[in-house]
Amino acid sequence: MLQIKNLKAQIDNKEILKGLNLEINPGEVHAIMGPNGSGKSTLSNVLSGKKGYSVSGDVRYLNENLLDLEIEERAHKGIFLAFQYPLEIPGVNTNIFLKTSLNAIKKAKGEKELDAIEFLKLVKQKASELKFDEKILSRQLNVGFSGGEKKKNEILQMSILNPKLSILDETDSGLDIDALKVVSEGVNALRSKESSFLIITHYQRLLEYIKPDFVHVLINGQIVKSGGSELALELESKGYESLS
Amino acid sequence: MIEQLKIDFDKIVGSLELSNENIESRKKNFNQFIESGFPNKRIEDWKFSDLNQIISSNIKNLHFHSDLELSKIDETIFIDKFAHNKIVFLNGIISNIDFNQEDETKVLLTRDLNQNENINEVNPLVSLNNALTASYIRITVKENYSLNRPVIIYNITTKDLKSTALNLKTDIVLEKNSSLKVINLFDDNSENNFINIVQNFDIAQDAILKNYKIDHKINSNIKYCYNNINLKKNSISENFIFSMGSKFIKNEINCNLNDEYSSAFINGILNLTNSQHHEIKTNINHLAENTKSYQLIKSVLNDNAKGIYQGKIYVDSKAQKTNGYQLSKALLLNENTEFDGKPELEIYADDVKCSHGATSGNLDEDAIFYLMSRGLSHQQSKELLINGFLLDAVEKITDIEIKDLIKNMIGITE
Repeated sequence: MLQIKNLKAQIDNKEILKGLNLEINPGEVHAIMGPNGSGKSTLSNVLSGKKGYSVSGDVRYLNENLLDLEIEERAHKGIFLAFQYPLEIPGVNTNIFLKTSLNAIKKAKGEKELDAIEFLKLVKQKASELKFDEKILSRQLNVGFSGGEKKKNEILQMSILNPKLSILDETDSGLDIDALKVVSEGVNALRSKESSFLIITHYQRLLEYIKPDFVHVLINGQIVKSGGSELALELESKGYESLS
Repeated sequence: MIEQLKIDFDKIVGSLELSNENIESRKKNFNQFIESGFPNKRIEDWKFSDLNQIISSNIKNLHFHSDLELSKIDETIFIDKFAHNKIVFLNGIISNIDFNQEDETKVLLTRDLNQNENINEVNPLVSLNNALTASYIRITVKENYSLNRPVIIYNITTKDLKSTALNLKTDIVLEKNSSLKVINLFDDNSENNFINIVQNFDIAQDAILKNYKIDHKINSNIKYCYNNINLKKNSISENFIFSMGSKFIKNEINCNLNDEYSSAFINGILNLTNSQHHEIKTNINHLAENTKSYQLIKSVLNDNAKGIYQGKIYVDSKAQKTNGYQLSKALLLNENTEFDGKPELEIYADDVKCSHGATSGNLDEDAIFYLMSRGLSHQQSKELLINGFLLDAVEKITDIEIKDLIKNMIGITE
């Protein structure tokens, strides 16, 4: 599904990613762990197309050159980034935003767009699965949401848009145990043979709930070690120091 | 120009049935205008909008008089979303009045120019209007009466308008405990005209005025609109200015909070493209204790547009416990746009709460990235953010029908 070869990215003349290699196949869950400043968020930004980076290397996604695609084209083709800090967008109703987003993606795929009633039905169902208070959806997007509500809203968007490749950028940060469980259940419900996940996290805690197939350690812009889920436990006890 | 104006003055005064007193007052006002001419940027209140220069570079032969020749009203421009009372100014002349939604003993209408009480010595443009107005209406709402439906004043110009300049005048009197919603709606089909509008509002105790201005249809006219509002005890004036159609418009509101517990709200939107140049200028005068004012102006500027907000709050030494607030936020979508904000607070009382704020900037790139990462195009993301930016000003409109009308005109969907 995703093949990354020798990916380099710099911003303001500072190289952040220094030749990163990674392959994700359909149905796999990959976790990327690493200390602050190792390039985790840069990786998620570059994969979703954020402007401002100068990028080189080869990134194939569903046999296309991902780096040639615009931000919204990547979304249309099934890439979803759950933001570490979801933005507050004043004056934009959450429900309208969700419907605009879903229909933009459906339209790009040549599928029939949902009308208001079909959409509300879908959103109700997904919100109740995530134990997400529907009332929040009539409020302005992320405005005045608690940290937990913002993260749940990201997962709700993910479950409505049903992406092929979901990138979770420190979705666990700022979540209490109950919210972490709900978010993890949401992610697990989306796991399938076709959909893949790239989970970026500092801590092993999230990985107790979402069991990864592979764990990679990102230090100083490169993946320095890869392994199975047991690697996360090892990191938790020994720290990153032992690897750098 | 002066020679032409003198000819127009004589023709206009000669064509109307005016009392000697009225003619004398007009002469005085006319001379005041002749002495000062159109305001230019050397005058502090006009430093961002040099009207003299704007008029001379856009209008070749300025003349105010043309022989009456009524055009037909294009009724398709009437708002059909809700029932309303109508006053139609067609090329500066009142051509249609329809108040069949109301009790006619409670809403008095007069067009007698001799009954118009001029507000004098405000500025040269108001003087010019006092001198040359040919068509006028006064609406008086009797004590304890609330109109069933809003009043829409249609200000229409047609392509066959012969003069290059118009003066319109309206007086609105709200007696005790009465209420009125009025919308001034512009529909300009003429080109390169100067339209000078003066409206005077007298709001008695416990009365409520809702005053909305809608200039949404793109046109090449140059407008000045002066509103003078006097508020008595416990009365309210809610004003909203939706400014996006004219080439140039300056909306000036002078509001006197004369008695205790009176309050004024002035909110507005400047939504400009190309080389449009729009200004909102307010003077809020807190002249008694426990008075309140609130102003929120949101501006979105594109291309080479220029937006201006000059908001003044004056607090008299008698006006303790005043609560005054103003905020201006501008989105500059292009580096060729210009926004000038000049907040002024002049406070002579010591127990007051007054604040002001102003911001300007571009759209948040991170917000655009967030929306695009959800599949929205750049254009869709921009529109969503701009509408979101404007929404809180529109939400200040307390009348739901009119709020929805304006939302529709901007393209805000919910």
